[in-house]
Amino acid sequence: MTEPSTLSGMAASPLERLQAAVDAVNGVVLGKPGAVRLAFSALLAGGHLLIEDLPGVGKTTLAQAMAIVTGGSWHRIQFTSDLLPADILGVSVWRRIDETFEFRPGPVFANVVLADEINRATPRTQSALLEAMAERQVSVDGVTHTLPRPFFVIATQNPLDLVGTYPLPDSQLDRFLLRISLGYPDADEERQLLREPDRRDLLADLAAVFDEDGIRALMDQASEVHLSDPVLDYLQALVAATREHPALRAGLSPRATLALAATARGHALLDGRDHVVPDDVKQIFAPLAVHRLQSRADADPPDDVVELILQRTPIS
Amino acid sequence: MRTRLSKLSVLTVLAAFLVAVAPHLWAMPPTLWAFVAAAIAWRAGAEVANWRPPGRLIRVGATFLGLGLVILQYGTLWGRRAATALLCVMLASKLLEMYRLRDGRMVAALAFFLVATQFLFSQRLELVLWLLASCWLATAALLRIQRDEDAPRHVRPGHRAAGVPGMLRAGAGLLAFALPFALVLFALFPRLGSPLWGLPEEALDGRTGLSDEMSVGEIASLFNDDSPAFRVTFDGTPPSRDQLYWRGPVLWDFDGRTWRRGFHANRPIDREPAIDDGALRYTVQIEPTERRWLFALDYPARWPDDVRVTSSFELLSDEPLTTLTPYSVVSEPDFTDTPVLTPLLRRLATELPDGSNPRTREHALTLRREHPDDAALIDAVLRWFNEGPFFYSLETAPLGRHGADEFLFDLRTGYCEYYASAFTVLMRHAGIPARIVTGYQGGFWQASDEYLLVRNSDAHAWVEVWLDGRGWVRVDPTAAVSPSRIRDGARSAVPGAGRWLDADWIFGLRNQYDRLQHLWNQWVLGFDAERQQSMLRRLGLQALGVTGQAALMIAAVLLLGPLAWWLLGLMRRDPRSDDPAERAWRRVENRMRRRGVRRAPSETVREWLPRAAAAIRNGAELERLAANYVRLRYGRPASEPALRRFIERCRRWRPLID
Repeated sequence: MTEPSTLSGMAASPLERLQAAVDAVNGVVLGKPGAVRLAFSALLAGGHLLIEDLPGVGKTTLAQAMAIVTGGSWHRIQFTSDLLPADILGVSVWRRIDETFEFRPGPVFANVVLADEINRATPRTQSALLEAMAERQVSVDGVTHTLPRPFFVIATQNPLDLVGTYPLPDSQLDRFLLRISLGYPDADEERQLLREPDRRDLLADLAAVFDEDGIRALMDQASEVHLSDPVLDYLQALVAATREHPALRAGLSPRATLALAATARGHALLDGRDHVVPDDVKQIFAPLAVHRLQSRADADPPDDVVELILQRTPIS
Repeated sequence: MRTRLSKLSVLTVLAAFLVAVAPHLWAMPPTLWAFVAAAIAWRAGAEVANWRPPGRLIRVGATFLGLGLVILQYGTLWGRRAATALLCVMLASKLLEMYRLRDGRMVAALAFFLVATQFLFSQRLELVLWLLASCWLATAALLRIQRDEDAPRHVRPGHRAAGVPGMLRAGAGLLAFALPFALVLFALFPRLGSPLWGLPEEALDGRTGLSDEMSVGEIASLFNDDSPAFRVTFDGTPPSRDQLYWRGPVLWDFDGRTWRRGFHANRPIDREPAIDDGALRYTVQIEPTERRWLFALDYPARWPDDVRVTSSFELLSDEPLTTLTPYSVVSEPDFTDTPVLTPLLRRLATELPDGSNPRTREHALTLRREHPDDAALIDAVLRWFNEGPFFYSLETAPLGRHGADEFLFDLRTGYCEYYASAFTVLMRHAGIPARIVTGYQGGFWQASDEYLLVRNSDAHAWVEVWLDGRGWVRVDPTAAVSPSRIRDGARSAVPGAGRWLDADWIFGLRNQYDRLQHLWNQWVLGFDAERQQSMLRRLGLQALGVTGQAALMIAAVLLLGPLAWWLLGLMRRDPRSDDPAERAWRRVENRMRRRGVRRAPSETVREWLPRAAAAIRNGAELERLAANYVRLRYGRPASEPALRRFIERCRRWRPLID
């Protein structure tokens, strides 16, 4: 656990500090500005992030960097097959002295929770976290404990076909606002990776850019971003297309539509804009939609379908 | 984006199919009729009320059931009726599995074909109008299906809606573009002497025209048939109404119940009337009857080559009348038909079945004693009809074995057939040669277009008696009973028939409609090889020949093609936006498009901008303009002056090319 530290020059405006935070994360995670923007969009929209990729491409580095610069408290939970729900949520302990139960909060009680390799835990443990993510509160022994705000979960997972994993249930995947992947670095980035010091040392040098209040203020500002009619039309047309596409079993839910609007607002704020442009919607649509959609048997996979929908939906 | 039909598309296709198939249903037996109706209803129910769509077994079963029904009803799958019925039934089965876009397209496209097949049966004006409406709906259905494929259901606000009214508008536009092509093809397509495929056959079901035999009580069914029988245009003054006896089959033989023409009836004419100043010249356009009878006024003196005239002055066409047929006749009213009656003919004209109508026979013999002169006897009978309690009515009782007895002494109520038959029997009993002539009497004079419309309801039967020195003389006993029948037509002679169709204003409307039908017959259906040639001659293109004519037609179509293409392009232009900033920006984009940098529909302005800016010299200016546009379009509402400045800048901006 790291103590929230503050950035020198607190006088900088919230938007400038947001930019500084993005730059700081980009300094650690090389060559993934798009992924970093998406991660911050999810943060600003108040949603959770799932990073899915092969081991060793920098998932954890990105998650840790995000956790550090965001400020506030952060915990890292390494998911394993013997992890139990209580290890995440916390336990009530019997205090013999005053003969009462005392609740000892688990690692989920933090502003940023880094759930590493979430799919290596059993479904029971996974759903304990997923439920906490959705409810933003934890019930242990009949007592409800509210989670702090902001509450931002960054989960990483390996692709499902690796041995020793429990895939997240489809119905719970939409607890994550966005699902992103990083991919291999290109040759130049990899060379830079080889030259520069260890990423872990860079992480150690990273400082928090915000505190809880700062993030909350930015989230409030994001929710004020203007969403004009043409953009709403575009957004609705995309959602409608998923509902009408024959390859998909079901379209995006109204919850997903709301999430699309919120994330687009966050994405716009990252640019310092007070209004959403179609580009915002277009860039977040795939990370937002693909993990919520399932294809029919023998039909194109959802990512291809979503790509096709983006290519066919007109923008005015 | 989708491959399945939306509800709206399904309903539009169903409507188009229903309208296209309706005229066929009219002529179909009830089983097939019910089959098609059930298929439409099921498919509509599946769409609207979420009925279970039929399973594969039912669909296959329905197909074979339809096939079986057609064979059962028609005994064959060949021929116009059976083949079109098969088409209707198979398309109806297709409806049951119409879920994908291509199925919908197929049904809509075949609806056009279904429409065309109607012309094999009838080419009447109202049918053409109906079929035009049908084409319109089918076009709208195709457009509606295309809309399913093109775009998600959500339509941008302020843009043309994807609903049925919009599709109908667009469909009407497309049909309008097709119109010049249709006109050129109609006017220039080389006409053949005879039609290319089977002759059109009017839907004659339940409508038989005049038959060549007469059982009393038969014409009555014709009185309710207001459809046109033929139309006549006269060269010169038409004769007065009471001279308009359109002569048809002449009946000699009587078996006590039915009058027939008899075996000798087809003898060719032995003496042609000479034409003098009183001759009537006229052209008749007769509706198809599938019989060979033509009708003429007394006495035909000149007739077309393909018409035969019998010794009773009946006109017979060489071929059954399967299409609207025009023929010209010259009639000579002043003519003595058969001044000398041979003994054989006299016997035939006085022959009666033995022992029938004893009371009539008795009465005839009494009259004979009182009036030795034939003419005086006839006058006495007509006076009896006129002054006695005889009535003209369409509603009367059927007659038994001694028909003339029952009618003359008991019933005394009837119409032309009753009077003609009883009168002829009476004459023959009195020893006067008599025969029945059937045909039409009168007609409706369309003063504005100068033609006479004769309806099937104008059917009539009258009598001819042979008098020494005067030959065959026309006697109309019906006229003695009901002079108004002859003066004003059958309609007026039946008081209070009370059909709502008989209201005067409706009758007037129907007459007006017949004028249109007449023009249609004359100018469209009557546009045959001869008229086409005369039109080309007037255009100075007489020496063209069929090949040249075809070349001219193709050239005209090729000329029209680009024109229509250009007009279609105008129509397909993006719908006008309701955002002034967007409208102004479109000008900028259009100017860039002409420079070869087109923004794809799914491309954002910011994605397009780098390409566009790189292609021109004043790219930086374009970038500023684009940033401005994005703010105006997607940002918070801007001030009016800012908007106006932007619009002005867009108007003035031009891309600069090296």
